[in-house]
Amino acid sequence: MKIIRINAVWCSGCLVMNKVWKEVEQIYPQLEIINYDYDMDYDFVKELKVGDVLPVAIFYHNNNEIKRLIGEKSKQEIIMVINKIEEVKNENN
Amino acid sequence: MIYLDYSATTPVDKGVLDSFNKTCLDFIGNPNSFHILGVKSNELINNATKQIANLLKVKENEIIYTSGSSESNNLAIKGIMLKYQNRGKHIITTAFEHSSIYGPISYLETLGFEYDFVDVDEKGQVDLKHLKSLLREDTILVSINSVNSEIGMIQPISEIAKILESYPKCFFHSDMTQSMGKIDIPLDGVDLVSFSAHKFFGLKGIGCLIKKDKILLEPLIHGGKSTTIFRSGTPALPLIVSLAKALRLAYTDIDNNLIKVKEYNDYLKEKLEKYPKVKINSNDICSPYVLNLSIIGVKPETFVHALEKDDIFISTQSACSTTNTASKAVLALTNDIERANSSIRISLSYVTTKEELDTFLKVFEKCYYSLVKDSKK
Repeated sequence: MKIIRINAVWCSGCLVMNKVWKEVEQIYPQLEIINYDYDMDYDFVKELKVGDVLPVAIFYHNNNEIKRLIGEKSKQEIIMVINKIEEVKNENN
Repeated sequence: MIYLDYSATTPVDKGVLDSFNKTCLDFIGNPNSFHILGVKSNELINNATKQIANLLKVKENEIIYTSGSSESNNLAIKGIMLKYQNRGKHIITTAFEHSSIYGPISYLETLGFEYDFVDVDEKGQVDLKHLKSLLREDTILVSINSVNSEIGMIQPISEIAKILESYPKCFFHSDMTQSMGKIDIPLDGVDLVSFSAHKFFGLKGIGCLIKKDKILLEPLIHGGKSTTIFRSGTPALPLIVSLAKALRLAYTDIDNNLIKVKEYNDYLKEKLEKYPKVKINSNDICSPYVLNLSIIGVKPETFVHALEKDDIFISTQSACSTTNTASKAVLALTNDIERANSSIRISLSYVTTKEELDTFLKVFEKCYYSLVKDSKK
């Protein structure tokens, strides 16, 4: 599963979420997580239509956006999203 | 024009600008040159440094001149963490800091450093018990501001310093940008202090990092000794002289100014809280220089622009971005997304007048009734 995360260096919520995502990555080492910087990668971020609330995490399946999480979220919320996407994938298979 | 955005920046004092201009014209020598022009410039810089040291009750060699608070914060955080990384790689801060605290921490994270955010209580003050629980063997820096810029919470700096006395390997940095020259917070027990002149009627482009004598820092700018080995570059003599002047003016009547501003703040609060859709976010532990409030249902930028039409200037302050963003600070403090989505900041000064506030209140009323749905006078 591909996940694009958009963060900014000036954003405390992004720092909070970095720690949460590290824990998530330990549980799901197979995740393909790509990090973009809101300012440095602005052209790309603009294409993704990211609003002004950070951080943002976009979940993909077969390069299609499935789910978007905006703002600070708990590890449990992220795990629920991942599990749900995995369930749908398995059903489709 | 009525300016009520003094926490963002202040207009320069005429006397401060005169000092700057005079120094530019009369002291052309590089303070590090050996000839007489250099010697004269060096004497002037030493006098300015002495004045600042006396006002802040620190040693002259503890003053590092920077371009402002963002540089000071970067120098404090990167400087300590990189210099003392053999002791540990852990830093503690709060979720109510300026972005120039989070920037260096984000950078250090890429180098393997670790961080934690200390909780705050219901009024927004640091939870000292939680702070104690977060302190580790490898914690080498705690960075907590003295006054939050958005809502104005004053942090218990002395109590935090006291806790950290038991952790000799851990340094204490405080970003005092919003309190310097406004609230006389003792610097005892604080190892590093950041501030900027433009917040107290000085010029943009000059600030300080106060650093206790024996502490070392990894410089951000390498290039040899200037006024200090920790920050290279030709000393900005006119800016330094103007900083000393601005600080002296700010300290001249600091306590009476605080009383005056507190009266203004109380007056505004009393008038504004009568509006049904106005919720005051700043509480009794906040600096009177800041008054944050929400106008439920009205976008902050809409209200700011409405006031602007009558030449009144206040600001919105968002934690995580530029526009249309819920204020993280207001959300954390009130747990109310509506309030977080509609907060504005009025920031006061001792140069504010009662007449200005009365005009502001009249215009506020006009904007309120035109922008708040279903509101009737």
